[in-house]
Amino acid sequence: METSTVAYRPQVSEIDLLRLMIRMRAFEEVVITAARAGLIHGELHLAVGQEAVAAGMVGTLRREDALVSTHRGHHHALAKEVPIRPLLAEICERATGLCGGYGGHMHLFCPEVNFSTTGIVGASIPLALGYAYAAHLEDHDRVAVAVTGDGGAQTGAFHEALSIAGAWKLPLVVVVENNQYAISVPISAASPTKTIAERSPAYGAWGRTVDGSDVETVMNAFADAVAYARSGEGPAILEAVCWRFRGHYEGDVDLYRPAADKDLAIAKWDPLIRSRQRLIDRKVAGGEELDAIENEESSALQRLLAEVQKDPLPDPVNARQPFTAPRAL
Amino acid sequence: MLTDRNLNISQYIAEAIELEMAADDRILVFGEDVGRLGGVFGTTRNLQRRFGSDRVRDTPIAEMGFVGMGVGLAMAGYRPIVEIMFVDFIGVCLEQIYNEMAKIPYMSGGRVSVPMVIKTAGGSIGDAAQHSQTLWGLLAHLPGMQVVAPSCPYDYKGLLAGAIRDDAPTVFIEHKAHLLLKAEAFSHGATVPQDAYVVPLGKANVVRRGSDVTVVSLSNCVNLSIEAAVELATDGIEVEVVDLRSLVPLDTETVCESVARTGCVVVVDEDYLRFGMSGEIVAAVVEQLGPQAVRGISRIALPNVPIPAALTLESEVLPSKQAIVSAVRSLAGSQ
Repeated sequence: METSTVAYRPQVSEIDLLRLMIRMRAFEEVVITAARAGLIHGELHLAVGQEAVAAGMVGTLRREDALVSTHRGHHHALAKEVPIRPLLAEICERATGLCGGYGGHMHLFCPEVNFSTTGIVGASIPLALGYAYAAHLEDHDRVAVAVTGDGGAQTGAFHEALSIAGAWKLPLVVVVENNQYAISVPISAASPTKTIAERSPAYGAWGRTVDGSDVETVMNAFADAVAYARSGEGPAILEAVCWRFRGHYEGDVDLYRPAADKDLAIAKWDPLIRSRQRLIDRKVAGGEELDAIENEESSALQRLLAEVQKDPLPDPVNARQPFTAPRAL
Repeated sequence: MLTDRNLNISQYIAEAIELEMAADDRILVFGEDVGRLGGVFGTTRNLQRRFGSDRVRDTPIAEMGFVGMGVGLAMAGYRPIVEIMFVDFIGVCLEQIYNEMAKIPYMSGGRVSVPMVIKTAGGSIGDAAQHSQTLWGLLAHLPGMQVVAPSCPYDYKGLLAGAIRDDAPTVFIEHKAHLLLKAEAFSHGATVPQDAYVVPLGKANVVRRGSDVTVVSLSNCVNLSIEAAVELATDGIEVEVVDLRSLVPLDTETVCESVARTGCVVVVDEDYLRFGMSGEIVAAVVEQLGPQAVRGISRIALPNVPIPAALTLESEVLPSKQAIVSAVRSLAGSQ
């Protein structure tokens, strides 16, 4: 697994990158608040601890590049610059949400920035393959990114989509957000290969496994993966190893991961702590300044939740409409 | 005119796609053997030669991959036609069909449309349990999908053009017994214009007028129903045959208007009986006309077993002209 062995090649300033990760975590925290307040009545899959995998795409990923994410995708939405208010409103089941309350937290669609999610594990990869084919047809250097997990990497969809992308040299980048567990099943019990990225030669793909809690490492590797795909050489598999700090869903008692292991893992894999320490060591920012950023982001999101909470709920009269014509945000 | 244009159904299908592709660059064709071979039934013949291998592409046997690719392309603004060779194979990619293709327009609150057609062949030609089903009831049950299955040459070309131009996700189910038949083999809709035209989705076709019993059907069972009606007419029983053309949208208005006159309905379906089209049609008739308006109901559909191989067994489970004749006689006789 690669850690920061190469020099940081900044796509975005270090402080902006940390601020974004702080925002991602504060976002999940207000989502938890919203769920506890009864604003969200369904399942929630949060990405606390996995922020660096999403933030590492910023700067490299362009607006016209499609990103197809998963059931655990709020942080990817923020990395792709999905407008934060309709994003939170959709998760909170409001009429003002991205999808008017029809999608919910697992089904987010923002065509303006070419972002979407699917709730089905592995299904993001064939969808992104379609965007990759569109880029191929238009002879454009766009790429399409599919996010999946270590669980999704065991699906037939992973194999089929990468086979096609490899055979046809399509600009598909598969980001495997390997949080080491598919709900309760550890990757060691599910994968025939130690890493996912080592399968890349089978698909004629670029592949690399990196420490997904180190945002700079992810950023460098993601830039390499995307450069490969943009060059027309074919698909890329970037595996970012990370740790899911919370249960598979909110309310998961999570007895399958021993408590002591979890405590150690959280200490080891927290991308925010890691970046914060690095910025302090490099004298890019002081602790107080970073504390202030955390407070700002957290307060802003709490204010946003307070606003969104007052938004109207979807009118049940519209539940039966079939939607045949596209609707703008 | 008919003599010059006495092509087989697969040629009319290829012609419909060719005309639509020539008019709209966003239309693409993907599937197994659709390019070099022109389709195992010839329904995509000559398309790759004319439009190139970027727009008409042979895929590996990876339906989950290429159906999902079609959905992604539709989301990106294209209008893909994706062929699943036999509808029976839909199980391997049903995830992308019912969870992505069919649901995205609604899940996105109308933000994203999926103007995509799945083109596939169904129906029995002696291939037994895994290569003979129609499965339109299954596809019609899942919300968000339009389901079309034509019965005659005119409709094959026109309904396919209609499906391609429609913005909603649509499954177009060809009947394998039709694909290599020439137009002259059909007793209705045998004249096919050379130019492009559209048969709008959701409008049933009364293919034979009659006052005694209404027979409601789809795809190849419409042809069987017409044959049965011809035989019954010699005994003075006048059968009205309604070709639904599509299960979604479902034209219950035309069905109910007919049953309101005849008072008797026979549904003929080459799909499984249980939880299927026949129950849906009968329920719609009874709900809309009231139980007192219907004197007789009969359903002819596949019994709830897989389709067997041996001809003696297969003939027993498939709808037949004789079964339709018997059902109609029994309803007409009970009046």
